[in-house]
Amino acid sequence: MALTSEGLQPADFAVTAARAVAACSGLGLREQARQLADDGLLGIIAREDAGGLDLPLAFAAPVVAAATAGLLRFPLLEMTLLGHLLQQSLPRMAESIVRGDVLGTIAWQGSVVTEREGSSVVLNGAVARAPCAAEVDYVLVRIGAGGAALVPTKAEGVVVEEGAGLDLTVPEHGIRLERVAVSDESILRDDLWTGLGSDANVLRAAAILGSAEACLSLAQEHASTRRQFGRALSYNQAIRHALARQKLGLEGMRHAITRSLGEPAGALERDAAFLAAVTYGTSISEGALQIHGGMGFTWDVPVHRHLRRIRSLQAQGDAGGLIAALGRRYVAEIASDVAEIAPVAEAAAAQ
Amino acid sequence: MTVIETEPPEAITVTDLSGEAYRVAMRRWLRANLPMGFRSDSAAFAPSTLQQSIAWEAAMYRAGLTGITWPQAYGGHGRTLREHLIANQEIGALAMPESVNSIGKELAGPIILAVGTEEQKKRFLPAILEMRDIWCQGFSEPEAGSDLASLRTRATRSGDNWRITGQKIWTSGAYRSQRCLVLARTGPLEDRHRGLAMFAVRLDAEGVRVRTIKSIDERESFCEVFFDDVAVLQSDALGAPDEGWAAAIRVLEIERATNRMYRAWRFENELRHLISACKTDPVLAQSVTDSRYAAKLGEVVVDIEVLKAHVETVVDALMNGDRIGARGSLAKLHWSEAHQRFAALALELLAQASLPLLPAVKVARRRFEAIYLQARAETIYAGTTEIQLGIIADRILQLSKGK
Repeated sequence: MALTSEGLQPADFAVTAARAVAACSGLGLREQARQLADDGLLGIIAREDAGGLDLPLAFAAPVVAAATAGLLRFPLLEMTLLGHLLQQSLPRMAESIVRGDVLGTIAWQGSVVTEREGSSVVLNGAVARAPCAAEVDYVLVRIGAGGAALVPTKAEGVVVEEGAGLDLTVPEHGIRLERVAVSDESILRDDLWTGLGSDANVLRAAAILGSAEACLSLAQEHASTRRQFGRALSYNQAIRHALARQKLGLEGMRHAITRSLGEPAGALERDAAFLAAVTYGTSISEGALQIHGGMGFTWDVPVHRHLRRIRSLQAQGDAGGLIAALGRRYVAEIASDVAEIAPVAEAAAAQ
Repeated sequence: MTVIETEPPEAITVTDLSGEAYRVAMRRWLRANLPMGFRSDSAAFAPSTLQQSIAWEAAMYRAGLTGITWPQAYGGHGRTLREHLIANQEIGALAMPESVNSIGKELAGPIILAVGTEEQKKRFLPAILEMRDIWCQGFSEPEAGSDLASLRTRATRSGDNWRITGQKIWTSGAYRSQRCLVLARTGPLEDRHRGLAMFAVRLDAEGVRVRTIKSIDERESFCEVFFDDVAVLQSDALGAPDEGWAAAIRVLEIERATNRMYRAWRFENELRHLISACKTDPVLAQSVTDSRYAAKLGEVVVDIEVLKAHVETVVDALMNGDRIGARGSLAKLHWSEAHQRFAALALELLAQASLPLLPAVKVARRRFEAIYLQARAETIYAGTTEIQLGIIADRILQLSKGK
């Protein structure tokens, strides 16, 4: 495979990803890592000297979407980001992650405090929403406002709690850190979390898109084949309009994601893509469950797995906090009254 | 006629500009020339007269801001949809009145371009751009609102020409128009969509009567138009009698996706205006940053970004030569509902203003009360929400309707 984006399109990766996700079925986490690494899917955005493909984030989005659509039981989003994040400060670790030899995750909620003790840094605190933390080797935890540390999950003082949260596919864990000593090199630069969160939100949006597409597809199939009152459910306008609204949301989030990955997209476009995905993704998955009727409430119909996944991704990206922060940021950037159009008034007056 | 002074033409003849340079030229011209009285975010705002609107839109045309993609042979500027998008982004960024000839520029013009004869293109198109001819749309009838296949207005042969009899309704702006794009039946009612033909009917023709209808925003722009055995020349028939409608549908697919392309950016202008007005009032300045309203404003920002994404996707697709099909329904549906939610939020916020009302809040209240009422129509005109959902279900999802 060519290691540049020349001639490659992000969509090309969706096909490879879907095949790799299918091949991962029934495998343990480490075997999956090797399978995904063999297909080049763990290092899409990592540098070539770390074994990656050094492609833009846009190429990782369809892979993450395919993983969620296929309910892949693997912290792919976190592994993808770690391979890129660690390539400068911990290049050998980045390479191991890209090769699938080392498994890592990220604790998206909470932060720890640090204190220096001799040649070590000691971490204390509680973090949460760390996907698959019980089965991985390392976890990235936030320090204070914007820094981070890479912590071995087997280190003394690290307690990974029982899986909690809605997600059955990529279960989340809380982690307590009680006087965990790490080396200086495990402490990453102190301004990385904002960029990491922004990249993560774009990939979360893509993940939600994958789940939402799967849900709409299931709902559409059910509405076309399930017969009631002598007709397919899709004969009824209430059902047709509900599905049409789901499609409207799906295309809205898809376009917003594409836009957030293009030039010259910034924080606003990225936040908007994630928040749109959360809004539409939840309504599509909940709507798909409703269209299935009683079947939708059963364990065997996979809509609830997607719904759980979307709700967990929503929480990992702190959508509730983000939407208010986005509003406040927008408000802060606008001048009071109509001062911003004053130059126009002057120009008009001069006419 | 009121003359709108504009910069000398050489300063805005921008045929060799593209991309950001083109944007800057368009922005400069608009900001230097848009009269303050036209701006609904200004204290100087006053509803413009028809003559003022005509003069302003003619000036916009001369500046290269309308007829952007139409061929130069018919008075257009011969540019790409990309420049159309750029110009619309700049138009949307300012609070200016809606066009009084949007039917001419966004419906009749493209239909004439698609199905008109060479003579019709030369006769009708420059007159639309130069604002000599304002058009209205004679599609809906009392018994055929969304269901155009049921329309009853009849066109019958009279020698080589036609005579039209019937009634149209919801014909916005007919009272100020020179021409009406009339959809009429040439065959029996049972033919439904077949046997429909389009005509460019003069509204000063004998037998045409226009009656205005007052709408909820206190305007009298809506009209009923009565055609009583009106003589129409064959040279004013658009397309062949049996293919006119099918051709129009193809044009309408694109038009639904591209018309009023400035909407996302106008929406953004409205949001910015609302916030800037709120920031002048101590109570509202507090409200817009508290968690509840900050989140609601954040939702509006997301809605606008999604709308921009819809519009830009359509432009990219058309630039790539893709068919748009029913996808125009997505942007229209998203915009109309998001805009209604925003208008309701604006009213809710502004209702909490301190007393006595500050000048900027008064200006904002006047604008947003009008927007709120007008937004009620946005989920009705150009295909109601229910019609758009039906189109998505039928043509995009292709859901089975059968037993």
